[in-house]
Amino acid sequence: MKKDLESELREALRPVAPSADFTRRLIAQMEAKSAPAAAPPRARPLARPLWWVSGLAASLLIALGVQQHVRAQRELANGLEARRQVLQALHMTSQKLDLAYEAVKHQSSSLLDSESGA
Amino acid sequence: MRHRITILLWIFLMPGLAAAAPNARLLLPDFSALSKKASESVTITLDPNLLAMAARFLDSKDPEEAQTIEVIKGLQGIYIRSFTFDSDGAYRASDIEAIRTQLAAPGWNRLVETRSRKTHANVDIYIMVDKSQAVGLAVIASEPRQFTIVNIVGAIDLDKLHKLEGQLGVPKLDIDTSKAEPTPRAAPAPKAP
Repeated sequence: MKKDLESELREALRPVAPSADFTRRLIAQMEAKSAPAAAPPRARPLARPLWWVSGLAASLLIALGVQQHVRAQRELANGLEARRQVLQALHMTSQKLDLAYEAVKHQSSSLLDSESGA
Repeated sequence: MRHRITILLWIFLMPGLAAAAPNARLLLPDFSALSKKASESVTITLDPNLLAMAARFLDSKDPEEAQTIEVIKGLQGIYIRSFTFDSDGAYRASDIEAIRTQLAAPGWNRLVETRSRKTHANVDIYIMVDKSQAVGLAVIASEPRQFTIVNIVGAIDLDKLHKLEGQLGVPKLDIDTSKAEPTPRAAPAPKAP
């Protein structure tokens, strides 16, 4: 019984020589597997620069837009500040001229009063 | 060759021409020490570029602002220094003496000089006239707790100033535009305490 099992195992596990076209089939199978993997590196050099260029262009456009916006905002702020200063300057000048005018008017009326009194 | 000669002539003649034109810009002293003591200080420095920029931001459709545009159109600068103090005598007359010295120079003429015993408010108005055209205005207003210096440089059109009167609180000064020649200089003003 034991001998039968042994002989059966030996028979099953005996070394078998590969067939004549084994090597050819193995090489063909390996080539078939490696062929699709080789295709993407050909496509990559074309796709990568496109992404870089479009990304760079988009970044430049955004940067330019932001710069324009900041410049416009700064110009607006400066312009409004200049306008405010002009109005304040004219207002202050008028205040001081008014002070002089009031003094002159007061002096004139005093003179007229003294002349009419005399 | 002819162009070169013209350019060279301009280069050599321009400084002379510039020197010949009267300069109504006053050299305002550094008031930083007073600024620290003041409870309120106003410093306005508007050069031609800023005036042009301000004009762009004034509404020409608004009648009042349109007149303001007209007034500032010929100006080359507006310079104001004003200080308000919490107590009397915080500044000295000598602080503004440097300005008065400049206004004593030829070209400047005192138009108005007022001294109020009641309010102790003194106002001096100076004008610089060149070829029958006011090219500069200076106002020194001193009160016990405040002093203000106004210096307006450029072609001040008195007609336009007339139009602005009543607006922005500008009073009617009864300035006769035909009176281009300034009034004789008044006696030196007594110094403020």
